[in-house]
Amino acid sequence: MTILAARVKEFQRHPRLLALPAAAGLAIALAACGSSGSPSAKPTGAAHSHPHSAPAHAAKPPAQTANPIPQGNGGDHDADNNGGPSDGDGNI
Amino acid sequence: MSARTWRRGRYALAVVAAAAAIAVTVVAFARPGPSPRGAFPVLHAAAAPAGWRHLRLPNGTAVLSYSPSLRPVAGDKDAVSAARLSPAGAFQLYLNATPRQGAERLRNWAAFRLRLLRSDDAVSAREVAAAQGVRFRGGTGSCVIDGYVTRIGAHHYDEIACLVQGRTSASVIVGAAPAAAWARARPLLLRAVAAYLVR
Repeated sequence: MTILAARVKEFQRHPRLLALPAAAGLAIALAACGSSGSPSAKPTGAAHSHPHSAPAHAAKPPAQTANPIPQGNGGDHDADNNGGPSDGDGNI
Repeated sequence: MSARTWRRGRYALAVVAAAAAIAVTVVAFARPGPSPRGAFPVLHAAAAPAGWRHLRLPNGTAVLSYSPSLRPVAGDKDAVSAARLSPAGAFQLYLNATPRQGAERLRNWAAFRLRLLRSDDAVSAREVAAAQGVRFRGGTGSCVIDGYVTRIGAHHYDEIACLVQGRTSASVIVGAAPAAAWARARPLLLRAVAAYLVR
């Protein structure tokens, strides 16, 4: 009891000492928050689905380069026009 | 306040500060950072195993070898493809060879391939590993291993794609599989790439 009272009195006399544990706690909290929510590096989940099925939702199309091959079974006869793996064509 | 009490207080604060520093360090090192590029696997150019089948490019400049567990599938007129499909028609393994058609060059192949995927087939594409100066049967190539998500169907594929320069021509060989099956498919696909023959 006397030791506790002495420490309380010590902090009362030197309030700056309270800042150190508070700062340490804040640093731990910030670091812990930053470690969560990172996306998985490897995409998963859709690989087993049928490659010829229609898209479930329309994704925003990326910026087009010159002479893109139309998707949806257009342009050429690649599997990639239907959601299959991409072939080795040079976009011509 | 006595000197003893003051020393005890300082000791307690030092312990708290040290514990905090250790905790911050541990958390910081445990955070997942950006994935470093992986090492590209060593390809040993060699003829395909006995029993494998072969598809010659229509222009005769390259030969694609494939395991008998795959079968030829339709593609562009100037290309050849072989695939293993699930009973439902989903691609489990895919091989393709196509003559060089665009502005791809050995020195810019990895960037070219990723840009092509993003502009044509994929909503996203990321490089896993790349290499230049890869020896092939009859030529030298640049290769990239990457993963992408298709614009149609949002299918996740991993692939190895190589631009191979022969004596008289250049062509591209692609081996792909669903990302979830890549680890299992990779040895066979690498074997097919290593067996690719160019003129």
